[in-house]
Amino acid sequence: MIVENTQTQMRKGILEYCILSIIAKGETYASDIIAELKKAQLLVVEGTLYPLLTRLKNNGLLTYNWVESTSGPPRKYYILSDEGRSVLHQLDKTWEELAFAVQTAIGERKQ
Amino acid sequence: MNKTIIININGIVFHIEEDAYEILKNYMTDVKRHFMNSADSLEITTDIENRIAEMFSEILERENKQVIVEHDVSQVIEQMGSVADFENADDTGKSGPYNYSTEGRRLFRDPDDHLVAGVCAGIANYFDIDAVWVRLAFALFLPVGGTGLLLYIILWIVIPKAVTRADRMAMKGEKQNLQGFKKNLEDELSSVRQNISNFGDEARPFVYKARDFTGDFFHHLGIFLGGAGRLFVKMLGVFILICCLSLTVFLIVALVALLAFGQFAPFHDLPFNLIRHSHAELLYISAFLAAFIPLLSIIFLTLKGVFNTGSVSRSTGSTILVIWLCSLCIFIYYTAQIALNFKESAQFSENISLKPVNGNTYYLKLNDVKYFSKQDSIRLNIKGLAPGVKITEDPYEYNDFNHFNYRRVHINIEKSDVSQPVLVETFKAKGRSYDDALLNVRNTKYRFVQQDSVLKFDYRLYADRDDLWHDEELYITLKVPLNALVVIDDKLNDMIQGQSIYECKQVDKKENLPYATFIMTNNGLQCKIDTVVTAKKDSVKTAKADTTVAQE
Repeated sequence: MIVENTQTQMRKGILEYCILSIIAKGETYASDIIAELKKAQLLVVEGTLYPLLTRLKNNGLLTYNWVESTSGPPRKYYILSDEGRSVLHQLDKTWEELAFAVQTAIGERKQ
Repeated sequence: MNKTIIININGIVFHIEEDAYEILKNYMTDVKRHFMNSADSLEITTDIENRIAEMFSEILERENKQVIVEHDVSQVIEQMGSVADFENADDTGKSGPYNYSTEGRRLFRDPDDHLVAGVCAGIANYFDIDAVWVRLAFALFLPVGGTGLLLYIILWIVIPKAVTRADRMAMKGEKQNLQGFKKNLEDELSSVRQNISNFGDEARPFVYKARDFTGDFFHHLGIFLGGAGRLFVKMLGVFILICCLSLTVFLIVALVALLAFGQFAPFHDLPFNLIRHSHAELLYISAFLAAFIPLLSIIFLTLKGVFNTGSVSRSTGSTILVIWLCSLCIFIYYTAQIALNFKESAQFSENISLKPVNGNTYYLKLNDVKYFSKQDSIRLNIKGLAPGVKITEDPYEYNDFNHFNYRRVHINIEKSDVSQPVLVETFKAKGRSYDDALLNVRNTKYRFVQQDSVLKFDYRLYADRDDLWHDEELYITLKVPLNALVVIDDKLNDMIQGQSIYECKQVDKKENLPYATFIMTNNGLQCKIDTVVTAKKDSVKTAKADTTVAQE
């Protein structure tokens, strides 16, 4: 139980960072994000992504453009806002620090 | 071949099979319900719908088909994730600035503040009062025929448990429009509550354990009762059906038997002796319908209520109702008519002087000769029988005990004031009016025969064969002088009032004799006990021999 809880907490923190990173590469469609997250084994189902995206958008980190699609309804393509870019920059730093901290802790244990 | 439905997802039209549509609809309902309390619910669900539409389009294009089938829907749902998956991810939402806007309160069972199942706390939350008062009200209603308990169990089953955070907020009617402020406040409050409940856990572990245990217990009991209750209702339904069907079969058989053989029914048995044959069929049919239609409705109601099959159209129902009311009216009318026949009673008495008897001993016997009217004799060709044949009527021989209660004869033996024996016959009968009753009395016939010292009595009154029963009775009073010996035959036992022949025989130690001997004293009739009997065996024999001689 505790293990699971820790795992969820860790993933949860990283998830938003990952989403922002994926979107930072350019205009991205939701299913592309899912594809990458699936590869990274962070998210499994698509449905859970939409609330996250909506939340990030409402916090001003994302915006989207409507793009006409050949198959089906128009698609929402997400891009980072300026604020999102600066948040991502901060998160990059935090991640490096964290990675260093974790690396140091693990590294000492593994030796 | 399957039925397809045309659906429209955000402006795009799809042909979808009915089964597949059901699944998709249920899924979307679940999804919408899940995000219902989120401010962005519309946006999120629209995103999801759009994505589903896109996936459908892709599938149709890839597989080059036109209709979406069940497999496609389940594939899409698998990719999109079930509501359970969303709930797992909901933990993420908890820390974030999720916006819950709830219009009004919703009724839930409160899992945070429960004694048994949280019904009271849920109601209290709904009306925004202290749970103590609701609990007190339930406790007060508990002794009133257990209504409190019953109500609690029903509410327990009906009201859903507040599972998600959104449920809990909806239950308490919390709105969060001013996000930051409210969120902080809420978090603080919840942490305070957490601390309090932690404190409670430490301080009163037993109480909480007991509470959890009872909660679990009742939870499982609820599940059990739910299943067992349905089974019980089904079994009850089957039982009712079997009862009603067997009653119906009985009614139909009875009706057919009555209609076919009614006129041959034993005329002296109730209730056939009450009903004129000219009316009988209508009465039977109306009685049948009056009983059969309610049975039929019970059968249909049981089928509909318990097994959810079978139904009767409104017009058929009302027709049947009218028929039932008519037959009930007819039945009540005839029953009332029959009852009216017993309204008045009449009686008359007749004195018959008996011929004087030598030796002052009277032998009372059953008249077992069957009398026929002239018509009967001709009809049955009595004279054509071999000479010397006598047609007798002995109810003991035929075990025809019904006759004893039919047009009965009661015999009373009293002391006569004069030296001559006297017989008084008092006839009684009932009728619609006094005149009718009197006519009914006069219509009866009784045959009493005196052959020297032997008095022979018919065991019942006679009326015309076709005549109905009017509660005719005959009271015979035989007045014999003082010290007269009365020898009464066994067969008269049921007719004699105030004396038991068998008791007398027992006292007299003469059980093997077919009669008992009584003597008239100043105090009325008494059992005559031979004092000699108690002395010696020999004398018993002589006494016996004497009596036999005397009798002959």
